[in-house]
Amino acid sequence: MSNIENYLAPSSIEDAAAALAAGPATIVAGGTDLMLQTGSGQKTYAPTLINIQKITEMRGISKDGDTIRIGALTTITDLLTDAIIAEHLPVLATMADKFASDQIRNASSIGGNICNASPAGDSIVPMLMYKAEVVLVASTGTRKVPLNEFFTGPGKSVIQENELLIGVDIAVPPAGFKGGFGKFGPRPALEIAMASVSVGGVVKDGVISDVRVAFGAVAPTPIRSAETEVALEGKKLDEETISAAGEVASSSVNPITDVRASDWYRRHLIRVMTEEILNDVS
Amino acid sequence: MSAKVDIEFTVNGAVRQVSVPADMSALDMLRDQLDLKGAKEACGEGECGACTIIVDDASVCSCLMYAADCDGRTIETIEGVQTVDGLDPIQQAFVDQGAVQCGYCTPGMVMQAKHMLAKNPNPTEGDIQRGLEGNVCRCTGYRKIFDAVAEAARS
Amino acid sequence: MDQIVEKPETLIGKPIPKPDAPDKVVGKTTYINDMVLPRMLIAKIKRTDRVHAKILSVDISEAEKVPGIVAIATAENSPKGLIGVLKDNPPLKGDKVRCIRDEIAGVAGETEEAVDEALNLIKVEYEDLPTVFDPEEALKDDAPLIHDNKPGNLSLTFDFDHGDIKKAEKDSDIVLEEKYELHYVTHTCMGPGCVIADFDTHGKLTIYTQTQYPYNYKMDLAPALDIPAGDIRVIQPPVGGAFGSKLDVYPFEPIAVYLAKKARRPVKLFFSREEEFIASPTRQPARVYIKQGAKKDGTITFRDVNVYLNNGGYTSWGATIPAVMMRTMTGHFRIPNVEFHSKAVYTNNPFAGSFRGYGNVQATYVTATLMDKMAEELGMNPIEFRLKNAQKPGERTPQNSLLKTAALADCIKIGAEKTDFLEKHTANVAAREKPGRIRQGIGIATSIHNAGGAKIHKSDGCGTILTMDDYGRATVITGASEIGQGIDAVITQLVSEELGIPTSDVIIANNDSAIGPWDVGVHASRTTFIAGNAARNAAVKAKHQILAAAARQSNVSADQLDLRGGHVVQKDNGVSVTKLDRLLRAMHFAGDDAELVMVSEYYEPPSELEDKNHVGDISAAYSHGAYITELEVDTLTGGVKLHKMTCVQDVGKVINKLGIEGQMEGGIAQGIGYGLSEELIIEEGIVKNPNFRDYKVVTAPEMPEIECHFIEDDEETGPFGAKGISELPCIIPGASIANAVYNAIGVRFDNPPITPEKIVRALHGDKVEAAE
Repeated sequence: MSNIENYLAPSSIEDAAAALAAGPATIVAGGTDLMLQTGSGQKTYAPTLINIQKITEMRGISKDGDTIRIGALTTITDLLTDAIIAEHLPVLATMADKFASDQIRNASSIGGNICNASPAGDSIVPMLMYKAEVVLVASTGTRKVPLNEFFTGPGKSVIQENELLIGVDIAVPPAGFKGGFGKFGPRPALEIAMASVSVGGVVKDGVISDVRVAFGAVAPTPIRSAETEVALEGKKLDEETISAAGEVASSSVNPITDVRASDWYRRHLIRVMTEEILNDVS
Repeated sequence: MSAKVDIEFTVNGAVRQVSVPADMSALDMLRDQLDLKGAKEACGEGECGACTIIVDDASVCSCLMYAADCDGRTIETIEGVQTVDGLDPIQQAFVDQGAVQCGYCTPGMVMQAKHMLAKNPNPTEGDIQRGLEGNVCRCTGYRKIFDAVAEAARS
Repeated sequence: MDQIVEKPETLIGKPIPKPDAPDKVVGKTTYINDMVLPRMLIAKIKRTDRVHAKILSVDISEAEKVPGIVAIATAENSPKGLIGVLKDNPPLKGDKVRCIRDEIAGVAGETEEAVDEALNLIKVEYEDLPTVFDPEEALKDDAPLIHDNKPGNLSLTFDFDHGDIKKAEKDSDIVLEEKYELHYVTHTCMGPGCVIADFDTHGKLTIYTQTQYPYNYKMDLAPALDIPAGDIRVIQPPVGGAFGSKLDVYPFEPIAVYLAKKARRPVKLFFSREEEFIASPTRQPARVYIKQGAKKDGTITFRDVNVYLNNGGYTSWGATIPAVMMRTMTGHFRIPNVEFHSKAVYTNNPFAGSFRGYGNVQATYVTATLMDKMAEELGMNPIEFRLKNAQKPGERTPQNSLLKTAALADCIKIGAEKTDFLEKHTANVAAREKPGRIRQGIGIATSIHNAGGAKIHKSDGCGTILTMDDYGRATVITGASEIGQGIDAVITQLVSEELGIPTSDVIIANNDSAIGPWDVGVHASRTTFIAGNAARNAAVKAKHQILAAAARQSNVSADQLDLRGGHVVQKDNGVSVTKLDRLLRAMHFAGDDAELVMVSEYYEPPSELEDKNHVGDISAAYSHGAYITELEVDTLTGGVKLHKMTCVQDVGKVINKLGIEGQMEGGIAQGIGYGLSEELIIEEGIVKNPNFRDYKVVTAPEMPEIECHFIEDDEETGPFGAKGISELPCIIPGASIANAVYNAIGVRFDNPPITPEKIVRALHGDKVEAAE
């Protein structure tokens, strides 16, 4: 049974942080995950429900020097159409195009997607690849946490009860950076990934460096794959390297079997999509 | 009982003030408080699109939107699509092209089609198929809905 | 000056929009789920969480105390009558639960919140019992007994025997023996389950229901309620889909009635989507063992079919699907010797109901993929082998179905020609040997289905009353139910055609058992044929009455008159004799000679019941279809992309072009789901994917191009020559896809759906074993 005692809709980060400092609260942005999880009993409301949708400073994409800030309320649709994303972080647009459906893209926020901490969270995988940092604000101060260190388990992260995720910061990738995102589910739309992959790196003279590899739906949280990165770093992107990287990628993960896919098939998809992206960027 | 929230918003051109429980969905508010029963709850999980409404120019699943979040927004539901002159061209095309069978998905389909055509007035067939990817229809096999949206785009 | 009324173009075959469509596109239609009656209570069901257990106690004392709770029904305080095809299902379970959907209590209250709270406070104590989930396991001597009075867990059996299969097997040059495992799928109607029950002060029940068989529904519902069937009025508000799922009484309906009776207020009981997945009927799963033989020249010699149906905890129509399966197993292609044996066996799984295609989806998956395999083994191409065994006009099947036309062969030939089938088929096989990730495939499947009703009840009829008002409008009161499929449009069109009035002047009144005459229900592809004939015949009677009156008035003989554009005209020159509305008023207000145009028709099709050996020509007509699928397979991910489905369908005559195409395309989408993506995953009796995320109905981007070719062979018994066809589009695609996948990658699947993972496992099987 839900029992929300207070509903707040602050219009500034400061007010939201103050509200969070006052006691246990549930934060709602687009609502697409929260409504689902509270409806099914998977999650219960804290006494205070804070709707952050009116904090306009938290929506949008901006570039300050070499850092791109994606506000937590930026929707998945925003990623599809934004010029900064298209120029500097195009893999996020590729991801957005494969995300759920138009209605869900229009409502889902980046911050919500991250805080939901789903092992299969589509947007998280390319952000891990881009080495995003999340920006957490509390009434006591602001801290940044690398996304790679943010998740602690399915639905769990290091965010504290008094903190608000206001956005992510991503450093503009170096010149020559190329990347890709792959997600597999049997249907083109409305799918939770059976597995997802994002790979990126600087490709120069056929050699890949500054390699980042991230996977979704194959571990309790979306993960970076250090082993696959090592297998690629500084290598010439030829057939042999790509095939070896696919092999490492596939054997480096230890996914579960559930109604969507078996562990074997998930590992297979990781290999296929890793190789596919590497072929595309080579 | 959850706390009540007083909200004010525009729905189909009229300003409405209601008091809603903090955990109520926009869909329940529209259906049960405003008696706008055109939007349907067919899954309650954002997986079927039957509850699609347009909020500030974006289509959303009203089953996943908090009613309280409607505050200050402009909302269009299926009941607001028909004009005094008759059916909207999208609605007329759904009738003429045979895009309606049981019709339970139809209000959501029409709203999503309206949103899609507002963003992209000249969609290809591929655009139409992608644009409707969040709307499940169990009766028609979608082909006549594609025809209807294409017809509406032409008119 | 004489007014000339030109003969209008016929409406038959034209695209006529559905009369219910405008209200639906503006969101005005009030579906049963939208209905609110004054003082109506909300109700939900407390279900079990066990699959087989003795119920030790049900404690509702805390639940009753919740403010706003008005009535709680349990087995103890409710009528004890049974429902279901074998009357083996108590709507509320008191002694034991047998599957996960079992109902312990119904709760009615003022608000949904109160009801939810009360449901959580109902305490049930169980003692778990041993379980069984596999039909062949459940037949064993030491298997747990699901129903004490059903020894051996046997629900229903069907057996058919024709010719001598043993001898035929000896005489065969080739014999193939296969096992198929056909899965659970479910209807996923967009409008979840809902019922409203309301008693009047005489104690008579009005039930607002989604049923698609309103008249026999009363007969099936009454025993559970302890009231006479005649005291039940069935009203069918608009529904969000049915597809066969509403052809039986299910426990939630009597439970709502129990609550309404206790509360003496209207009660609305409705399902969440999750409940819809868990507690609705499914398509019947089947394990099929089949042997088929042929001569070297391709002549089929015999079929030997053994089927085990997982009946689940109770018996609904799913257990009777062999009646339809059998027709395809014995009669699709010339099968000179055939045996068919089926057993439906109780288990602790959920149970199946009827679903569009009714056993023929399963039978066609089996036969059409086996035909393909046999052709290859014989070294024949898939077209040649099928044509070799297609029946000739006038042939009867072993069960005595009369095939009047050569539609099967025609469908196959036209399909092959329109798609360049053989060229593509050969090229795709050759391409399998070459390197490449993406493989193209083309496949054909065919089937047969009853198309002139199906006499499975003592009557397969439909009643219709047609009256004309003083303004020239016709009201057609038909027993046929409109459930979205479009019968109102078809009847409008047929009546409009006969009476020469605009379609907008035809009013359909149906979906109320207190008004409509009897009809057996929307099933078996029968409504256009049966209700169409009834409506047309009624219109013809009305026309005779009108023209006779006009003849008396005009001194022109009735056979020289016609109805056209709202006038009575002279047939040869179109000269108006009188306006129709004026004539109707003159007839009506003629003093002692007054007459009202008010005719009735009860149409019973020329078909026969099966005898005890399952022999009988159950339908006035049969329809065939040949569907060709073109697709590609990604051999790395296993993803299948459908390009096109070319469907040659024998339809007798197109009545409403929009309607028939809609039935084709909609059926095909469900058939694609059956073949590729839909599966209700049930493990140890538990539904694992009760949501649209993981139960994968076909979405818009997956729909291939569909090209329909209609063979119009003017069925002599059909309305304007039409047959009923709305199940075949759902029946054939799965098998057609399976054959196309084989053509692409050389792997056959005896266990649909053909998911990407299954494809990859089949192609990379060695790696799977190594990894596991």
